[in-house]
Amino acid sequence: MFEVRFHGRGGQGAVMAAQALASAAFQEGNYAVAFPYFGAERRGAPVMAFTRVDKDKIFSKTLIYEPDYIVVLDDKLTGLVDVADGLKDDGMAIINSNAKPEDIELGKSVKCATVDATTVALETLGQPITNSAILGAFAKATGLVSIDSIVAGIMDIFGSRIGEKLAAKNANAAKVAYERTSVGTCKGTMTYEKGGKWLPDYKELPLGLATRPMKTPEGLVGPGSFVDNKTGSWKTFAPVHDPDKCIMCRMCWFYCPDGAIKEVGEGDAKTLEFHLEYCKGCGICANECPKDAIKMER
Amino acid sequence: MDRHQGGETIGITIKTLPEEELFTSGHTACGGCGAPIVVRAAMKILGPNTVTYFPACCLLVFGGTYPHNAFKVPYLHVLFENSAICAAGIKQALNKQGKEDVNVVAFAGDGGTGDIGFQALSGAAERNEDILYICYDNEAYMNTGIQRSGSTPFGAWTTTTPAGTKIGGKELFKKDIPKIMMAHNVPYVATASVGHPADMLRKIEKAKNMKGFRYLQIFAPCPTGWRMDTAKTVEVAKKAVNSGMWTLFEMVDGVITLSVKPKMEPVDDYLKMQGRFRHLTDEQIKIIQGWAYKKNEMDLKFVEAFSEDKKE
Repeated sequence: MFEVRFHGRGGQGAVMAAQALASAAFQEGNYAVAFPYFGAERRGAPVMAFTRVDKDKIFSKTLIYEPDYIVVLDDKLTGLVDVADGLKDDGMAIINSNAKPEDIELGKSVKCATVDATTVALETLGQPITNSAILGAFAKATGLVSIDSIVAGIMDIFGSRIGEKLAAKNANAAKVAYERTSVGTCKGTMTYEKGGKWLPDYKELPLGLATRPMKTPEGLVGPGSFVDNKTGSWKTFAPVHDPDKCIMCRMCWFYCPDGAIKEVGEGDAKTLEFHLEYCKGCGICANECPKDAIKMER
Repeated sequence: MDRHQGGETIGITIKTLPEEELFTSGHTACGGCGAPIVVRAAMKILGPNTVTYFPACCLLVFGGTYPHNAFKVPYLHVLFENSAICAAGIKQALNKQGKEDVNVVAFAGDGGTGDIGFQALSGAAERNEDILYICYDNEAYMNTGIQRSGSTPFGAWTTTTPAGTKIGGKELFKKDIPKIMMAHNVPYVATASVGHPADMLRKIEKAKNMKGFRYLQIFAPCPTGWRMDTAKTVEVAKKAVNSGMWTLFEMVDGVITLSVKPKMEPVDDYLKMQGRFRHLTDEQIKIIQGWAYKKNEMDLKFVEAFSEDKKE
């Protein structure tokens, strides 16, 4: 039996990747299950999905806490979430990154494979959706399923959801990624702190849960406390602002759904500050700028 | 009889909008979401002396998951079907406490307004409760994963109106909630769009300074549910108005005025930008175009019938 945990972001297709891997393993004569785990997340927020494969019938229905393999669809997640949590010592991490395996930091020194799936996806699909490409890397790095089965799995799962044509493009992405995967060992120097959750005593809980703005050891809570939540890691493209072209019409400032653009300075010295730690890279500012003073770059 | 008082505006524009954020960064909306554009602007105008109320909707989830929250003002959530009534109750309780200057605003999606929350909304409107109700219209139940609502337009793909060989998206037309609210004879009903910010800001400010039940429906595209590029949110909202798929008007005490005269451009451009309309046949596009013309004709007749001159 082997168990795989996928770490992705809402919209990257971790769930479909888990299903396609299960389908691929099933077509090689195994039993396989795939299931997602998410809460109230939006597109861009960290999510997990799981695949469990065995030669015999699978009776275990739990989430996977000690995976044999982890698949990370976005390498920025490695800085936010302890993706290697519970990963077996002889396990392996497959990561979407343009870095070499030796430069990846997971807080645990394990076998590691990397592929620049975002570039592959942009080349083959035109969109930064990396779920199909990373499966190609999984086949190459682990050898547990053949690339042909992966292609068949993608055609099965993606074909029924998004149509044959797009499924074929995704299968091609997997093949391209298969060729570009490099395998090595990652670093394990950093230690992840287990992020705690604010768990107040019942006497501390306010009436009707009407929480006031408070600083707790686990971070801010109450009104306005979302400023702690840095959503900037969600983006693929970031805005680059050219102050010379800018006429300070404030259109981008007004339209930014995330309030990531701030006005600073007084009078003629007024300028815009881009707070990329909140920017989700939607590109509305660049699209609406009347002077083309904002460009979206990777 | 004039039911409203106030409504004076000082003319807040993008240039004069305050810098202070009452709806902070760090909320978890999808990139390119139209709703936070509405809420950010609305909160800047409404100011800190505001109580906000939400039914179940995207905004509820991305605006705050306990104990975290993006609003710097009181933020309440009870149930899906009773947003208008709870907001009215909050307002009345505040009045009893002598805090009569507090703005009470209910934000809701189109499903929580026109489908599930409608009886509460209708009741509160009929009693002319002193609240501001802002509906951000993204034309489906996006929070639960894109199911069709009464507000979903004809032909649109959703997970419950799939596009296949037998049916091509939703087979029914968009419910005209603003007109239903006009029939309640409330002091203020207006539609706005994120594509026309000056108009939107003026209407929010006007509604804020009025007394009585005020209803605003703001067109806020959802790139995730509409299957389109996140950067095009505002552009697509502009095209909706220009093609007559969404009309901007306001009604003050029974007098209706058009805010922006639709250019009645062909709907093709608007439809082509969105993946949810990708499957449309030429015949379906003709139906949508016909609907847009008919809607525009009816709107113009409404404006004429309820103009200032006709008022006694």
